Amino acid sequence: MASRTAPPTTERLRVVGRPLSRHDAVDKVQARTLYAADWQMPGMLYGAVLRAPYPSARIRGVETAAAAALPGVAAVLVARDVPRNTLWTDVPGQTSEVGPLRARIQVLAEEVVRYQGEAVALVAAETPETAQRAAELIAVDYEPRPGIFDPEAALRPDAARVHDQGNLLAHWEIRRGDVEAALRSADAVVEQTYRCQFVDHAYLEPEAGVAWIDSDGVLVIRVSTQVIEHFRDVAEVLGLPQNRVRVVGPYVGGGFGGKEDVTVEVFLGLLAWRTQRPVKMTWSRQESLLARPKRHPFIMRYRTGATRDGRLVAQAVELLADSGAYAYLSALVLMYAAVTAAGPYRVPHVAVDARVAYTNNPPTSAMRGFGAMQMVFGYESQMDQLARRLGLDPVELRLRNALEKGDDLPVGQRLDTHVAVAETVRRAWEELGPHRPASSSRHRVGRGLACNIQPYGRIVWLRDWASAWVGFEMDGSVVVRTGVPDVGGGQASALCQIAAEVLGTDPAQVSIHIADSALTPLAGTTTATRQLYMSGNAVLKAASALRQQILEVAAQLLETPSSRLEMRDGAVTAGDARRVALPAVMKECARLGVARSHLAVYHAPAGEPVDLERGGGRVFPDYTFGAHAVEVEVDTETGAVRVLRHVACHDVGRAINPESVEGQIQGGAVMGLGYGLMEEVVVDRGVNLSTMFAAYLIPTSLDVPDVEPLILESGEGKGPFGARGIGEPPIAPPAAAVANAIEDAVGVRVTELPITPERVARALGLLGP
Amino acid sequence: MTEIAVAFTLNGRRQEVRTSAHRTLLELLRDILGAVDVKEGCGEGVCGACTVLLDGEPVSSCLILAPRAAGRQITTVRALGAGGTLHPLQEAFAAHGAVQCGFCTPGMILTAYALLRDHPRPTRDEIRRAIAGNLCRCTGYAKIVDAIASLAGSGTVRG
Amino acid sequence: MPAVPFDYYAPASLAEALALMREHGEDAKPLAGGQSLVPMLTLRLARPTAVIDLNSLTELRTARREDGMLRIGALVPHRALERGEGVLAGCPLLQEAAALIGNARVRALGTIGGSLAHADPAAELPAVAQALEGTVVLRGPEGERAVAARDFFVDVLTTALRPGELVVEVCLPIPAPRAGHAVEEFSRRAGDFGIVTAVAVVELSPAGDLTRVRVALGGVGTTPRRLPKVEAALTGMRPDGRALRDASEGAGDEIEPESDAHASAAYRRHLARVLTRRALGRAVDMAQRG
Repeated sequence: MASRTAPPTTERLRVVGRPLSRHDAVDKVQARTLYAADWQMPGMLYGAVLRAPYPSARIRGVETAAAAALPGVAAVLVARDVPRNTLWTDVPGQTSEVGPLRARIQVLAEEVVRYQGEAVALVAAETPETAQRAAELIAVDYEPRPGIFDPEAALRPDAARVHDQGNLLAHWEIRRGDVEAALRSADAVVEQTYRCQFVDHAYLEPEAGVAWIDSDGVLVIRVSTQVIEHFRDVAEVLGLPQNRVRVVGPYVGGGFGGKEDVTVEVFLGLLAWRTQRPVKMTWSRQESLLARPKRHPFIMRYRTGATRDGRLVAQAVELLADSGAYAYLSALVLMYAAVTAAGPYRVPHVAVDARVAYTNNPPTSAMRGFGAMQMVFGYESQMDQLARRLGLDPVELRLRNALEKGDDLPVGQRLDTHVAVAETVRRAWEELGPHRPASSSRHRVGRGLACNIQPYGRIVWLRDWASAWVGFEMDGSVVVRTGVPDVGGGQASALCQIAAEVLGTDPAQVSIHIADSALTPLAGTTTATRQLYMSGNAVLKAASALRQQILEVAAQLLETPSSRLEMRDGAVTAGDARRVALPAVMKECARLGVARSHLAVYHAPAGEPVDLERGGGRVFPDYTFGAHAVEVEVDTETGAVRVLRHVACHDVGRAINPESVEGQIQGGAVMGLGYGLMEEVVVDRGVNLSTMFAAYLIPTSLDVPDVEPLILESGEGKGPFGARGIGEPPIAPPAAAVANAIEDAVGVRVTELPITPERVARALGLLGP
Repeated sequence: MTEIAVAFTLNGRRQEVRTSAHRTLLELLRDILGAVDVKEGCGEGVCGACTVLLDGEPVSSCLILAPRAAGRQITTVRALGAGGTLHPLQEAFAAHGAVQCGFCTPGMILTAYALLRDHPRPTRDEIRRAIAGNLCRCTGYAKIVDAIASLAGSGTVRG
Repeated sequence: MPAVPFDYYAPASLAEALALMREHGEDAKPLAGGQSLVPMLTLRLARPTAVIDLNSLTELRTARREDGMLRIGALVPHRALERGEGVLAGCPLLQEAAALIGNARVRALGTIGGSLAHADPAAELPAVAQALEGTVVLRGPEGERAVAARDFFVDVLTTALRPGELVVEVCLPIPAPRAGHAVEEFSRRAGDFGIVTAVAVVELSPAGDLTRVRVALGGVGTTPRRLPKVEAALTGMRPDGRALRDASEGAGDEIEPESDAHASAAYRRHLARVLTRRALGRAVDMAQRG
């Protein structure tokens, strides 16, 4: 079913590249893993949030006396109780700031409410029920006000302002060549507008955490998070020195970008600091669906021009995204979208105009794919329509235009690693095999393809870095310490595998401590498909340096140059079978005062901010390329779409753990199918109608086929051992592949997501005029 | 508000708990008995993270009021395996990459357990049907089905 | 979230249960399987001061045959219907419908009485009760009464239950030997409530004509709807594909669906036609196979 190509390398790796069971999996199957909500502290209080019911309102007053008087209530906080009531969202975890991307959010709404669900007050009480009851007793005098709920309307000059500075949050432009002239002289131009929807991360573990003040007076927050660096945000809000706040990250029950921004951390910090007692806060699913930032909806207008023989000449893209009430990471998401909007193709003339506007809709922020993901629906739908217009095979059209190593992206960045667009397209398509017959006369079967480009690693002018500490204990066992949060993608176990490879041991013998802002060297966020690239390289660097340090000492013991020594299975051996056991080497290190550990910092290749419009140059360190091919069956009477086969092919550079890579591809692809076929947060004039999990439809096991992962290993990624990131890329192609397959099956093109049966039925003309 | 004493068996051991009647079995297990191996995912009975076996049948513990547990046998994933040795089903999940974030895993394993006990040779389709009420956001289900299918016909799950 | 606290009672007899219902009036909610009530409690949407747990009333958990009727106790769980346990095997339509309810965990505890009393417009069992022309037996302060299914469902989540009354039994006619049935449910995801559900029950004469046609739809209005015009159009007819198709086209005219976040009125109407035709087709096939 799944398959890999052999990596083009002469290295023979012992541990990296093997589909090993993850150490955390063994704990998880026994349910021994303690997630954020599983933690108890003696004397613990329970926190609750009071949220605004209106999408746009003025707060005239708040009465907390009745709530505070309830027996069992330890604290009731409103905006005036917050030392610094502003949360700055820069790029989470980064130490370098980027001016236009900085965004501010009020911790608790003070005078203005800008979205339904915005936090207005906090309660801490002896029991969860008391906390809820107290929250219900807080009397807020709201004056509902008109709001703006459509990004296009938001950009009109007379639109109500969500924030004082106006509703246009960010605007990026990319220009290459003369796109209007190219479109005019093109043999074929396909013009279409696409719309995609708000979606929710819908991780199985809702937001949760526990905060307490430890015996040194340090505020500790143990929270389900993708970013332990939020200790700085908590310190800022509380007016505490940053070295008095510690964030501990347990294993996370799914993140997908939804735990990238601050969730419960600041609320917990405030309540714990006010009460001087431990406080637990868990959000209900309904609260999470209501209040958490969503994925950005986009309106994407594409004009794609090509020659008669299928060479792309122009790609003109206008993008408008909805930032909702607050900026969060919108400007960054928009940048990812703009940079990738033309697709993984050679296009001489490109114009991208990308805007994101404030509205009183739910705020939008990071979600797996981060802007680059939504674009795939646009550019891959365009490619199929272009193929049809030109009478060309859709696969052939892609092959004719696919980017290759050495080409430049429209933004001016030269692609300096292997670009596997053509191969992944070919492989995915071939793997579909013989056509399946329709299951009845009312069904039609069709096939569709979509390929994509997704960055991995941060924008280079953020000067990303990650640190890792690797060390030997006196008995030769290995310890890794790194700030990496593990969100379920095997982040921690991959690092054990890398350390084990370098140090000649078994990953099961490596002990790893992660995600503690006070005790583990910081490694940045588990987002942006960056962790394997950054922390993998950091661990590789630390382990390699450590290995060298130890071998130098062993060289003296064995009287052999270190270059002729091997570290393996608990000993250092010389070629002629002389060996010294590691514990003996460690003793010698201690005697000589040689460190048995190494702290390394991996710095990603940095760059200066580019002027996107003038085609300045490198934006991301590198990209992952892939293609998905699907076969679907459409019920021509109801419009229902069933995915029969789904092949997903990605070049991952090197699969550190092939089983984990397959899991990311399959999981991402299914999340992409959910996005394409059924998921939608329905927002009606700022009111979120999808706050029940029964109503927010993520795929069940019966809704999707077995996704067949095909792993290509070009060996040219920038991560350890040539790896490329794979967390985000697989989520992007499915929606477009399905839309293309539906057109193949029944001849209609759906340009709005999700592709519900009703939309297909409407496109088929089943619902009348 | 009614306070009651509820006596039941949890993983073979008798428990007697004093609680308010308005609490759910999920709250009782997690907050009073510290059985945090049962997870809360949605509070609506939709996601399956809170699955326990009630007299051997998978149920949503978030939808059961505490008094209803009286006299019943409740089984969580901690009952599988013994003293550090994994049950074959747990081993299969770990070995097949069926566990990523792990939050759906306890409920998923219990559902799989009940399936294999009642239908020792399920097809892949039957497995998919049986786990359709357990949502997973990480794996895409394929490796979960692989893990369960690997035990079809093995006779390793007995009532 | 934690529920708003309430007083909890577990009466040992139906008489005791009814007395408690009368005593607490509108502030009391009866508890059967809990699959609909408990989430409302833990979302703090329902705030009864008393919950009356009916689960000790074992007499409500039995099913028996009597005078050509299946008398199903209100507390019989969906799982028993799905498995066709005991006399329930005599109504395979119930098996087909129950298998579509929610997921396996819901079916383990959810009950037929609870489902009917909850009266969700999209639910399967209310539509089945309509299609079979069953009767809902209620017991209350004024004694016992039987309400025809067509009169029992009054509005969204609203039934003919009077204050202090409980559903104690559901009576369904046992299908005739040459009867056929089918349930066609369309949902956007496996296990969800149907957007539209069609339940068809047919009987054929020895010559093969339709002697009896009953169609009930869920999800097309505030309550399940029978389709008397469709039924009348087909009664006495030969059940060929053309006749079924033509008659089913009329399904859209007999309902007044609303648009909501899940589906538009137009789509529901369309599904009503398609699913009515499909349900009738399968029901006829089944009847013809004898």
